[in-house]
Amino acid sequence: MEAMPEWLTAAEVYDPPTDKDRFIDKSILSFIGLISKIKQQSGREHDRLWVSPVFKLAFTILYIVLVSSTREFTFVYIMLTYIVLVLAALPAPDIRKCLRGALIATVFTYIILLPSALHGNSYSITMIPVKVFASITAVNILSYSTRWDHIIASLKRFHFPDMFIFVFDITIKYIVMLGEFALQMLYALKLRSVGHNKSKYGSIGGVGGTLFLKSRAMSEEMYSAMECRGFTGEYHVTDKFKFSVYDGVYCALNAGFIWMFVYFQNLA
Amino acid sequence: MIELQNVSYAYEGSTALDGIDFKIEKGESVCLLGPNGSGKSTLLKLINGLIFASSGSYLFDGEEITQKKLKDVKFSKHFHQRLGFVFQDSEAQLFCSNVYDEIAFGPRQMGMDEETVEKRVDDCLALLHLESFKSRQPYHLSGGEKKKVAIAATLALNPDVLILDEPMNGLDPRTERWLAAFIIELNRAGKTVITSTHNLELVQEISHRAILFDETHHIAADLPTEKLLENIDLLKKVNLVDEYYHVHEDHGHELFHIHNY
Amino acid sequence: MHIPDNYLSPSTCAVMAAVMVPVWAVAIKKVKKEVTKTKMPQLGIFAALSFLMMMFNVPLPGGTTGHAVGGTLIAILMGPSAACISVSVALMVQALLFGDGGILSFGANCFNMAFVLPFVGFYVYKFVKERFASKGGETAATILGSYFGIVVASLCAAVEFGIQPLLFTDAAGQALYCPYGLGVSIPAMVIPHLAVAGPVEVLFTLLIVNFVKKVSPDMIEEAPAKKTKSIWGLVLALICLSPIGLLASGTAWGEWGADELAGMTGYTPGGMKNEMGLKILIPDYSVSGMPEVMGYIVSAVLGVAILVIVFKLIGNVKKDDVGVPAQAK
Repeated sequence: MEAMPEWLTAAEVYDPPTDKDRFIDKSILSFIGLISKIKQQSGREHDRLWVSPVFKLAFTILYIVLVSSTREFTFVYIMLTYIVLVLAALPAPDIRKCLRGALIATVFTYIILLPSALHGNSYSITMIPVKVFASITAVNILSYSTRWDHIIASLKRFHFPDMFIFVFDITIKYIVMLGEFALQMLYALKLRSVGHNKSKYGSIGGVGGTLFLKSRAMSEEMYSAMECRGFTGEYHVTDKFKFSVYDGVYCALNAGFIWMFVYFQNLA
Repeated sequence: MIELQNVSYAYEGSTALDGIDFKIEKGESVCLLGPNGSGKSTLLKLINGLIFASSGSYLFDGEEITQKKLKDVKFSKHFHQRLGFVFQDSEAQLFCSNVYDEIAFGPRQMGMDEETVEKRVDDCLALLHLESFKSRQPYHLSGGEKKKVAIAATLALNPDVLILDEPMNGLDPRTERWLAAFIIELNRAGKTVITSTHNLELVQEISHRAILFDETHHIAADLPTEKLLENIDLLKKVNLVDEYYHVHEDHGHELFHIHNY
Repeated sequence: MHIPDNYLSPSTCAVMAAVMVPVWAVAIKKVKKEVTKTKMPQLGIFAALSFLMMMFNVPLPGGTTGHAVGGTLIAILMGPSAACISVSVALMVQALLFGDGGILSFGANCFNMAFVLPFVGFYVYKFVKERFASKGGETAATILGSYFGIVVASLCAAVEFGIQPLLFTDAAGQALYCPYGLGVSIPAMVIPHLAVAGPVEVLFTLLIVNFVKKVSPDMIEEAPAKKTKSIWGLVLALICLSPIGLLASGTAWGEWGADELAGMTGYTPGGMKNEMGLKILIPDYSVSGMPEVMGYIVSAVLGVAILVIVFKLIGNVKKDDVGVPAQAK
């Protein structure tokens, strides 16, 4: 065994300088948030709100189309009420997360539209923020109340190719795997950032570059593993769709919304 | 040096640490033992200030470590310099394009002149027998070499405490032997060493004290290493070893094997 | 650069999505030619990578941070067709599962960030690289490629916003979607990209490409020996730039009078006469166009739902004090 160098056996006398490296902490927080969001929804045993994911997805898109197309504030208001009502049925932590993104976007929209409103354009500022809020909340409700593999699998009902669904599935899985790897690298960078980093971009380049190399290595491994299990390039999504009573009620409700949309359209 | 008072940690509803209480003095070498998922890795993250206790408190050198305190840039940087953490996955710990820069990353940040940096890096390279890898890319090294580079990069900060998470994972037997001897050397040189492992043969070599975690995330025992390893019933109870585990003279075996008796 | 829903008209969204269909078809065909069918699932990993690249906070002068899109980066590393598909999938994950960027505006977002950005970025990169075959030339190529990629993409987004008030107004002449015309939307979108987002994208791209080149030079897609026909780059650039030409013929840059600005924001004086300034959201618990009783009922339901949410959140905060670790958010 080599003799220990002197500096290593003495206590380090060190007075650290300050440095502006908030980008590390901020990146760490965004990766933690991302990974925990994905893990949380996949840890759930049942979807909330009873309805089949196929209908949830279809009608969420429908709400967004209707809300975006209408010029009647009354109709937007009814849709908003309905969406907020569904939101109220979710548990509190989910509500908080749904509202957070939607409110930020809504406030942002208000700020953007303010100059136009001051010029007398009252339509935009009364309509668009409310529409933005309703649309984002509707997507967030779908996202928080349904397991993502269920949403992805339901794409089959809309005749998305099986290969696409498979790729989508892999994307989510590897966002977590590569994300965890990136998180570890950011932790390592943070722990060794004990002073002033003269080359912050060099560090980001190292983390991002290693992440890319890792993704290439992982994709080669995945390819070999699939080849070993006899993957020939064909993939079949199994469809477990069943029509329930709730689905029936839900479809009737949505037929009502479509009727209402048409009614207000004719009114105008 | 390191003191945990009734520390619990839960994330998104699941508990990873529950009422952890212990104190590690300067110059000790302590092993954390426990089955997979007992919370060892979480504890090491907590000691390194990457996550914070949900309840209870963590004191480093007499000072409580809180999220608020680590927001103070100077305090945080000094704290991270004093604690060196070698990750389980060394690959994720290396982000520079050659071994020299990787080891020099810490010293350069500490404001040393390039001459002092070079001396430190060369010392670290010699210490870990990495001289010939100086200009290689860490990403393309073997698992054992990556581990050595990660240790060298951590030691270059000259930390007071060295924390190793499952350091023997993925090493060949020869490197494993070498690393065990190296850990002992570092401890003799005055470093406080904390090693998490489930390698029982390693434990009694490198540590005088072992803390055993169970599957309910509590501490099941905190004893001198020899005492703990004698208590086979306890090791079985926490599911660290199976029913075939037994001791030969002074070595435990984790594998089922054949005896001629 | 993510365009949310309701800023663009549904018909604009439909057009943009329709434009993307052949782009996707060609990109898939190209990727299929380059990689075998059994390697297709790897696109999922690349999509995950594209997604994560957008998550990094990049340091900016003064200690603040910004995000890069990384479209040119992905194109340089994997080729523009693979980049187009993987960024599209990443955008779909964001829109559908994370509520970032719109569902209807998905086509428009793909056009800007999954088509224009990587293709412009990649072909500028390739064009420069082939003409200056030195190390410095390659660096210059990476810088110019990533800079042009993101700036042209932001310009496309600006044009999509800017044509809204020209095309979609109600009877009173008020804009139905984004109310700002090209004269406002282009400087508002493009200037920040020229000044801030562009340089961030350049640094992010350059450092990662350099790192990968140093560590694993064989990983970067080698361009085939034959030179790109620069004419295609020119055509692509012209398509992207044409809206500016249209605009320039109308107004000189930066010289908008008050009248013109008002015109560009989509407001015409006629609207003012009928409206009493800003409408307050739901005044007097009644909603126009609905019988009064109905208005009360809907308002009451909304009120109850909001109250339920408020109480749930309050109850949850109390619980948090005990259970959730400080680190969570």
